[in-house]
Amino acid sequence: MNFNHRVYTVLFLSLLLIGSTYGAAEPGGNGDATRDMQCGGACHGDAALNETSLATLTLSSPSTVYAGIPTTLTLTATNLSLSSTGIVGFFLLTDTTGHSDTPKDAGWDVLSESNGGASNYVEQTLPSSQTETSVSWVVRSSSEGMTSFYAAIHHGGSSKPFFAVTSTGYEVEAKEIPENLPRLAADFTPQSTRILDVPTELGLQTEFTESVQVEWKVEGGAIMSAQVNSSGDNMWSATIPAALQPTSLQWRAILQGDGPEQTTPWFTLTAEEAGWEIEEFAVYLQAFSLLFLIAGAVLALQSRLAPLPVSSKYDQTDLLPQRLDEESIVESVPQESSEESEIAPLPAGGLPNGWNEDQWKWYGHDYLAGKYGGGQE
Amino acid sequence: MISSQTFHVVSTELVVGAFSVSGLSFLFCLLLHLDVLKKADWKPMFDNVAHFTLAFGLAATPFAVLSGLSSSPGEGLNSPILVNKMFLSMAGMGFAIGVFISRWRLSQSVWATSKTATVHCTTGLAACGSMLLTASAGGTFLRGESLLDVLSLPYDAVLLFPTVISGIGLAIGIGLLVLGWLRMNAISSVH
Repeated sequence: MNFNHRVYTVLFLSLLLIGSTYGAAEPGGNGDATRDMQCGGACHGDAALNETSLATLTLSSPSTVYAGIPTTLTLTATNLSLSSTGIVGFFLLTDTTGHSDTPKDAGWDVLSESNGGASNYVEQTLPSSQTETSVSWVVRSSSEGMTSFYAAIHHGGSSKPFFAVTSTGYEVEAKEIPENLPRLAADFTPQSTRILDVPTELGLQTEFTESVQVEWKVEGGAIMSAQVNSSGDNMWSATIPAALQPTSLQWRAILQGDGPEQTTPWFTLTAEEAGWEIEEFAVYLQAFSLLFLIAGAVLALQSRLAPLPVSSKYDQTDLLPQRLDEESIVESVPQESSEESEIAPLPAGGLPNGWNEDQWKWYGHDYLAGKYGGGQE
Repeated sequence: MISSQTFHVVSTELVVGAFSVSGLSFLFCLLLHLDVLKKADWKPMFDNVAHFTLAFGLAATPFAVLSGLSSSPGEGLNSPILVNKMFLSMAGMGFAIGVFISRWRLSQSVWATSKTATVHCTTGLAACGSMLLTASAGGTFLRGESLLDVLSLPYDAVLLFPTVISGIGLAIGIGLLVLGWLRMNAISSVH
């Protein structure tokens, strides 16, 4: 490569580098999931490049929270200034160390959130004119005690990532459950999804409950009542009408018993198309069949096409000289060396009188042993 | 320990990178052996690069497939795209194994005629293409878009044969593999 070519190559590569765009975040969002705050600070770009979001974050919850009973934590975000995509992500955290800071790490389960999943990190896509929004999480503490909750936000804007976290914790005290308080069973996990076109039978497990009412609503719609049947002791079944398109609704239960009446948080139920199913054995079998069939076909084809050397199975003249050479080498080398080692050393005066070399070769040892009048001395 | 998602990303990048270089090298090999490119001294270089990167990609492929299965959301094969990814990656592995064994057992004989060279390079390119399609399907599955979307590939449709047909195909494949192997051994021993 001459000098000019090198210069052109360097210029071309430099042009490519200059032409690349600079990005420090994932403008398409990263999806709802259980995420540490570290994600908001770093995993979408270099944390050092983050700007501080000007959004105001406010957490709220019911005044009384019992351990083991679901409750709702609501985050209200105001003064939002987002990127053109309008994507914004919200975190519910239990500390601000950046790792092991999810509610789960502090003994709180996220049962439901406003997007219909059960993640501490949720994303929303807002119209550019909207500067305020809210997110809610239904959470449940496994034990009594005080917990500090924090909220964090990250979003794009002005070609830079923005991030903010509440500076002070929002204190939530999980109290001991009063005796005979009607409540959902401690291990109750709300159904979060259902399939389209089929009415949904919501199963509820309760404790200290004598009757249950279930209410549901779609976004912006009126609150409706669902038919509830008892299916056993503290077991209930509520029928929610079928969804005709993928939408979400919210439902809650009003529990009555000896204790004071209790109303559960709003749980989100998302309608999805029926799950796609396939016989996995057939898939794996076909996949391995493809592998072996293709590999075998290639080998068979190449083994047919590859040129064979012209040879007769009776013609081994190529091999014969080679073998003879090998044998002659194998045989001749030891013979020479053994003969040399077996021939007796000549005496100082040379061959004895009347001996020739051939005689010395075969009888020299005997001469040295004194059998023919010679001897080593 | 890293999560299976991260491991899948790492192994997939290794596979795609290796197969891409391999595919490019096979393309050069094809052009060189068909005398479209007249640079005889390049032949050994592209021959070596194509097969070493192919072997590397082939070694990384099982890790990519297994980590992909364990990192996919939900349980098992719950999307037609995942099934098509499985078929494409196994087909790519089949092509790659065929190419690799051919080159190993036949040595330079794969370049002996323009026909064998064409078959060999085309198979190598097919391995590369299958793996790139697999990666494209992965992009469509995760992000809903991929560079190869311009081809409007039917990732949502699955062509699944009855189990009996797949079983027969598997038996035939194993038979061809054994026959090809034995025949290649015979050729290489004569050599």
